[in-house]
Amino acid sequence: MTGYIIRRLGQAIVVTIGVTMLTFMLLHLLPGSLARDVLGPRATQPEIAQFVHQNGLDKPIYTQYWLFLEKLIHGNLGYSYQFNRTVNSLLASDLPRDLVLGGASLILSLVIAIPVGVAQAVRRNGALDYAATGVSFLLYSMPQYAIALLLIQFLSISFHVFPAEAPQAASVTGMLSHPSALVLPVASLTLVTYAQFSRYMRSSAIDTLAQDYIRTARAKGLPERLVLWRHLLRNSLIAVVTLVGLSIPYIITGTLIIEQVFNFPGTGLEYFQAALRNDYEVMLGITVLVGVITVMGNLLADIGYAILDPRIRY
Amino acid sequence: MSGGTVYFTEGPDAAPNYIFPMYSPQVCSTANNNQLEYMMYRPLYWYGNNYRPTIDYNYSIGQQPVFSDGNQTVTIKLNSWKWSDGETVTSRDLVFWMNVMKASPATEWCGYVPGYFPDNVKSYSAPDPHTFVLHFNKAYNPTWVTYSELSQLTPIPLAWDRTSLSQAAPTSDNGHLPDTTKAGAAAIYKFLDTEAKKLGSWTSSPLWRVVDGPFKLQNFTTTGEVTLVPNPDYSGSPKASISSLVELPFTSEAAIYNQMRAGGPSAITIVNLPSQYAPQVPTLVSEGYVDNKAASYSFNYFPLNFNNPKVGPIFRQPYFRQALQHLIDQAGWINAFLYHTAIPTYGPIPSAPPSSLVAAVPTGQNPFPFSVSAATQLLTANGWKVVPGGTSTCEKPGTGAGDCGAGISAGEALAFNIDYESGVVAVQDEMNDLAAQARKAGITINLTTHPFATVIGTAVACQPTQPTCKWQAENWGAGWIYGPSYLPTGEQLFYPGAVANYGSYSDPKATQLIQATITDPPSEEEQALVAYDHYIATQVPVVWGPTSIGTYAGDAGTLVAKNLGGYAANALGFMNPEDWYFTK
Repeated sequence: MTGYIIRRLGQAIVVTIGVTMLTFMLLHLLPGSLARDVLGPRATQPEIAQFVHQNGLDKPIYTQYWLFLEKLIHGNLGYSYQFNRTVNSLLASDLPRDLVLGGASLILSLVIAIPVGVAQAVRRNGALDYAATGVSFLLYSMPQYAIALLLIQFLSISFHVFPAEAPQAASVTGMLSHPSALVLPVASLTLVTYAQFSRYMRSSAIDTLAQDYIRTARAKGLPERLVLWRHLLRNSLIAVVTLVGLSIPYIITGTLIIEQVFNFPGTGLEYFQAALRNDYEVMLGITVLVGVITVMGNLLADIGYAILDPRIRY
Repeated sequence: MSGGTVYFTEGPDAAPNYIFPMYSPQVCSTANNNQLEYMMYRPLYWYGNNYRPTIDYNYSIGQQPVFSDGNQTVTIKLNSWKWSDGETVTSRDLVFWMNVMKASPATEWCGYVPGYFPDNVKSYSAPDPHTFVLHFNKAYNPTWVTYSELSQLTPIPLAWDRTSLSQAAPTSDNGHLPDTTKAGAAAIYKFLDTEAKKLGSWTSSPLWRVVDGPFKLQNFTTTGEVTLVPNPDYSGSPKASISSLVELPFTSEAAIYNQMRAGGPSAITIVNLPSQYAPQVPTLVSEGYVDNKAASYSFNYFPLNFNNPKVGPIFRQPYFRQALQHLIDQAGWINAFLYHTAIPTYGPIPSAPPSSLVAAVPTGQNPFPFSVSAATQLLTANGWKVVPGGTSTCEKPGTGAGDCGAGISAGEALAFNIDYESGVVAVQDEMNDLAAQARKAGITINLTTHPFATVIGTAVACQPTQPTCKWQAENWGAGWIYGPSYLPTGEQLFYPGAVANYGSYSDPKATQLIQATITDPPSEEEQALVAYDHYIATQVPVVWGPTSIGTYAGDAGTLVAKNLGGYAANALGFMNPEDWYFTK
């Protein structure tokens, strides 16, 4: 297992370098000029030339890429000229807040989806299964913004139960001090993710229930509770683990619509606006970060397989 | 009662991004000027109170200017005001402003017009700490000088007279401060401009702490939330009664509305309601708001780039601009997209707020009412083979009557791009409608969208060979609110070389009419303005669109919590939170 993790880490580094290379090249293909965007439309040609030289933009692209990697290795994701701040500091303020919002919804959706999916599989084609399937399809087919606006309309505007805004505090502790403000944005994210997870969980559990070891366990007289807990749940989780691994980057950039509706400026919105404002280094920094997290998410999922299924040995 | 926090909504994705009051066109926005800088760094004169585009001397540092020497010299006495660091606001602070303005690149001042302020100031002096004297290169209309030149003066503190933060802030003028040389003043500008863009250090910087206005900055978050608190050393009157003013950033118009509906007046005290929510005003009023509809001294338009190497020659043809104006369905837009929260615009002189000058200008009829057929006829009559639903092409190149016009070649397509402000539903609807109507007349309009700051920053006056001249039409959705020149004389917008003449419009007759509004004797001012307004209206140097009846562009009105007293609309969109108080 240790050898496998080391090998996968090695692969992850290679993939990450590939991601940075691809992203770096693609951003360099975008129309426009960093110097012009930074210095403004009234910058003179000598000023632009000076900026280009000072920032190494007149060097060959592979040299520029190497310089970028050097900075990256030292934890420097670049500088946002639009905000006059380092990308690190932008992410340092946005990421923890996103993690609270996205992390809470991920955990909550798993906590709901896993037992519901198992219950649906066990009571397949029963009333519970039909009802839960209907709810899942309904939620899955609804755009995220529609769910968010409906929740706001009913629970904020009509009945004043929860605030219509996500917490506005800049810090995590500040956010957590307004738990009621977290309810609607987290619920909006959770409902969609739950629908997805529960469908996978149900499907996976149905497959697992048909396996010989389940039949054997029941034949041995193992109590149904233990059959479900020890054999069904553990083996059914493998499919969901993959999904969770792939969902981790979504925590960071997948909340754009929720950020818009709930007035919660986070990394997703930051990335969107950086693209509109040609703030290349912010785009590059966030893309690299998401790439790294995606690779790490997959690695964690693979490790999760081995933990859940003893037959999987690397 | 004293105390309490006023929560004010910033526009969607339009948080302040500049703090130094000597601002370039790229950061010349109400979010920066009216809603931040002016409350801390008082301009010499304060305009717009009592919903009139005039000076309120009770709120101003400067007393009424005295003209002499055949209107070539103006002398201004200053009231006794203090900076928050204990220094007195003196005429030296105005000399400092002038030194920096004269030394900084002319194009970095939002109000710059070649030949006018500060070019037309022959000399300036501070004979004593409370007297400031300006000598002009010739005689000008005193009203124009008062409203369009003196309005561009703001005292700035000696604490800013340095070129790095590591230098100690000077506390007295030893005669050798950096601003006394041109190179030194230029370096100061560069330093202050750089510091003003460092949003993360606004709160901690010793520079921005020195204020003479009624408020000072307590906090500015990275998301754009501004907290202003009363300046205890404020010398003017009245003193602030509220304990703080918090300007809230929003990511979308929907977020503003949702927060209003959910939280009510206790969550948002003052909101400039996006026009798409105009039908909800009665509901909001029933929930504790008072609706203030007070159009500011503004008009809505978007510029076309006459110097764009590709489509500039087409834009330079008056018949094309008139045809394009025929495709703007102002009445339809006002009805369908703006819910009757705007009035049609036919020219550059606003019809509100009330002003003796504006009242003299008849509003007139729309010279180019919405008509696709009229647009088509204009194009056909000028050498274009109109393809309704497609893209028309120039059939008769040349400069004669009935030809397409100079610089347009045979077969050239009638197609261009409009880049418009993102996040504002009404602007998006308007641009989509314009593109659809234009299509009927064989004009292909490609639409792109960017944030407000990007759109307004892209629209710069340029030469065809410059890389910055690629833009074709930019609609930032907010048109023009008069400032820092407050007389609607047009030199800022339509004078050749003016910084805010974004499209590089140039017409000798228009220039002559503008000059007349500036130099004609006061008795002929009204007549000159009428002549200027009528000519510009027919020439369509920019594309006119409906002007909001709210204080800021795109607003359905300003909704103010019922328990907030002292609020009054300012004709120029300035904010006077020192007047506000909670009644319970």
